[in-house]
Amino acid sequence: MAARVLMQCVRSVARPSLRLCSVNLTVRTAAVSNTVSHRSLCFSGDSRRTRWLEQSRVSAANIDVSCRLYGDLPPLTFDTIRDRVLYVLKLYDKINPEKLQASSHFMKDLGLDSLDQVEIIMAMEDEFGFEIPDAEAEKLMTPEEIVQYIADKKDVYE
Amino acid sequence: MAVTRLPTAALSLKQFLQRQKVLGIYRNMLRTIREVPDAADQKYLRNWAREEFKRNKNATDPDAIRMMITQANNHLEELQRSLALAR
Repeated sequence: MAARVLMQCVRSVARPSLRLCSVNLTVRTAAVSNTVSHRSLCFSGDSRRTRWLEQSRVSAANIDVSCRLYGDLPPLTFDTIRDRVLYVLKLYDKINPEKLQASSHFMKDLGLDSLDQVEIIMAMEDEFGFEIPDAEAEKLMTPEEIVQYIADKKDVYE
Repeated sequence: MAVTRLPTAALSLKQFLQRQKVLGIYRNMLRTIREVPDAADQKYLRNWAREEFKRNKNATDPDAIRMMITQANNHLEELQRSLALAR
């Protein structure tokens, strides 16, 4: 019932949006308008009704376009990246947490070797969820460089 | 007579390439171990890999290093094959 009322309201609001039929929109509105999709399961046999629901789905997309409802992670900032990087490094058993600073060099200041550096970069990959290629990974020798690289890849500006 | 000298710790090209290969294998091994389903197994394999690589860290003979690289590759392929079967 709510779906029918909603559809009648928005149909008058958004006529031109009927032409928009991209997959993205239907996916978005599938997340948004759960009630509509529940109803559509019952109605799927009737072709006229499914067209009606397509319209309502597409129009519903237009109404909700101002407030996005996708599931996504909170935005990254330099400070959050730095905190996370330092946190992961403090958890690493070969690093002395008191000696650790953003500018401490892994090999010169912290006495680690290249195998440890590989492990550290792998831990960063796990933490931030994206792969760092070999060529660039071997150049990252301080936490600050790691922060810069991640900010670069994730488009974090200040 | 001014003679330019490389720092004594500089590696020759072959040594440099071998070092890169070893680090690449270590990285691939860690990535493969990440896909192992059991957490305790993962920890055990990671420690094992770490010990193996660290034990031979100071080898200097290029032929010995090449043999070890081949061995590591075999281990890696075996691990990948078992993972593919287990999936």
